[in-house]
Amino acid sequence: MRLPRPGPALALAIVAGLQTAVLLYMVIDRSVLLKTGREIVLPVRPVDPRDLFRGQYVRLGFDVASVPLKLVEGPRPTGNKPFYVTIEQQEGGDWTPVRITAAPPGEAGPKQIVLKARPYYRFPPATASPNGMVQARYGIESYFVTEGEGPRLEALARDKKVAVLVAVDGRGNAALKGILIDGKLQYTEPLL
Amino acid sequence: MLYRLRLERDLKRWQEKGLLSEATAAAIRAELAGAHWSISAAGAFAILGAILFGFAVMSFVAANWDGMSKLLRLLLLVGAMWACYGAAAYLLPRNLGRFAHAAILGGIAVYGASIMLVAQMYHMEGSPPDAVLLWALGGLAAAYLVRSEAALGASIVLITTWSLYERMLSETAHWSFLAVWALAAACAYLLRWRPGLHLAAVSLVIWLVPLGALILDNHAHWVVAMIGLAIAAAGSLGGRELDQRLGPVSSAVFAYGLAVTVAALFTLQFIDERAIPSLRAPNGIAVLLLLAVLTLGLLLAAMAWGIHTDNSGAMWIAYAGFAAEIFTLYVKTFGTLLNTSLFFLVAAIIVSGLAWLALRLHRRAQPAVGGVT
Repeated sequence: MRLPRPGPALALAIVAGLQTAVLLYMVIDRSVLLKTGREIVLPVRPVDPRDLFRGQYVRLGFDVASVPLKLVEGPRPTGNKPFYVTIEQQEGGDWTPVRITAAPPGEAGPKQIVLKARPYYRFPPATASPNGMVQARYGIESYFVTEGEGPRLEALARDKKVAVLVAVDGRGNAALKGILIDGKLQYTEPLL
Repeated sequence: MLYRLRLERDLKRWQEKGLLSEATAAAIRAELAGAHWSISAAGAFAILGAILFGFAVMSFVAANWDGMSKLLRLLLLVGAMWACYGAAAYLLPRNLGRFAHAAILGGIAVYGASIMLVAQMYHMEGSPPDAVLLWALGGLAAAYLVRSEAALGASIVLITTWSLYERMLSETAHWSFLAVWALAAACAYLLRWRPGLHLAAVSLVIWLVPLGALILDNHAHWVVAMIGLAIAAAGSLGGRELDQRLGPVSSAVFAYGLAVTVAALFTLQFIDERAIPSLRAPNGIAVLLLLAVLTLGLLLAAMAWGIHTDNSGAMWIAYAGFAAEIFTLYVKTFGTLLNTSLFFLVAAIIVSGLAWLALRLHRRAQPAVGGVT
């Protein structure tokens, strides 16, 4: 079997083209998510509020990241495969997890939104205590701050409530869109 | 360099035996001292340079991030990538293959850096091993399309990294590795690049050896030992068939299979403490001794086969395995003196018996091998 072989220049152009396409896909996929995704606001759990914006990037903790294992419905998620957490908006505006499923749940209520998650380590096995929690990662846990922005946000965030604006698409993918301090949008990510 | 020293010694010997005239020997030396060496050294430096260039791009972009808009950063990264591949396209037809492949390697490095930096730009968290896979596949595309050995080498290293990373996070067997590995191995075969095949084999060994701790009851090292034995059998019993179909690979296949078997048996006996009943448990020592006798028997058989087929790689693995087995047994059973002495007695009997067998095999094989020492 002889496969047709392009000349070296064409082959290199194809390689460069393919790799560029991968990068562009990453960027476009993200931009579409940021632009068209449904917006929700999630309060940031103060891990160490003084150091919030000091480093190159911050790790963000969320209340919706600790999900009680009793919420599992249907087949149990396994290993470090993605699973889906349905969160519901409560009276006061806060979001709480109401359901864990291994596959995307078909429908969600009007006050509900589905987030695609991965376990931090792996999903607790069936032998784990049903009163335990699974620590979920939604892909919005790292925030890279530009150096000029860091100290300004740092000063604003001192002793204040910090929250993030998140865009979520129909498949449960989430992306960080901006930062809110005391309910006011202080910083938004430019698309390009 | 080693090759030159060895050749020099051989040239002297051949001259003394009158096989080679002074003039021919001088001509060989002159040929060797010619352009060949300096070009390959330059190529090696070029490859090194490409790797350093990749690091330079990564740290430059990381350091000067803040002054640029996202679009500018993206253009810079993609521009650097195209520049690398463009340089390769310029160098390839000008008989500067090594430099061209160094440039391709540089392109792959920039591509990988770009994936990481785009992920950083958009605060993507995702699954980090997936990013390494994306990088590896890009390298594999370059290896296949441009027939680049350097790109293939980098891809195999990346594929191995991907699997190690994924296993570290998930503690699962990571079967999908096999599919991507097969692509890389096929590519090495297609390129007729022997070091690439070795690299692929090492990558598979790295994936196989810890597999026992990740499947079934998490102590299934015997499964890995069986897989290793099957590979070794393919390289020995099925060796002729294999060589006819794929070229001279059977010795290496046997040696890698042996390495997997030895590593799995060693893990089973000495590293994973819960794989067999502990030494203190009743029957514990008996089970261990039985496994040890089996292992030593296998190693001796492997040595006999190594001598028979003049397979020095397999011989070294068998020697090393034998030494490790005996030494570890001694350390582990130390204290239960009676058992230790009993073990060495049993082992001595078996080793002598097998030595006798090996000698017979060797004698019988000698005429067929044709006096190779």
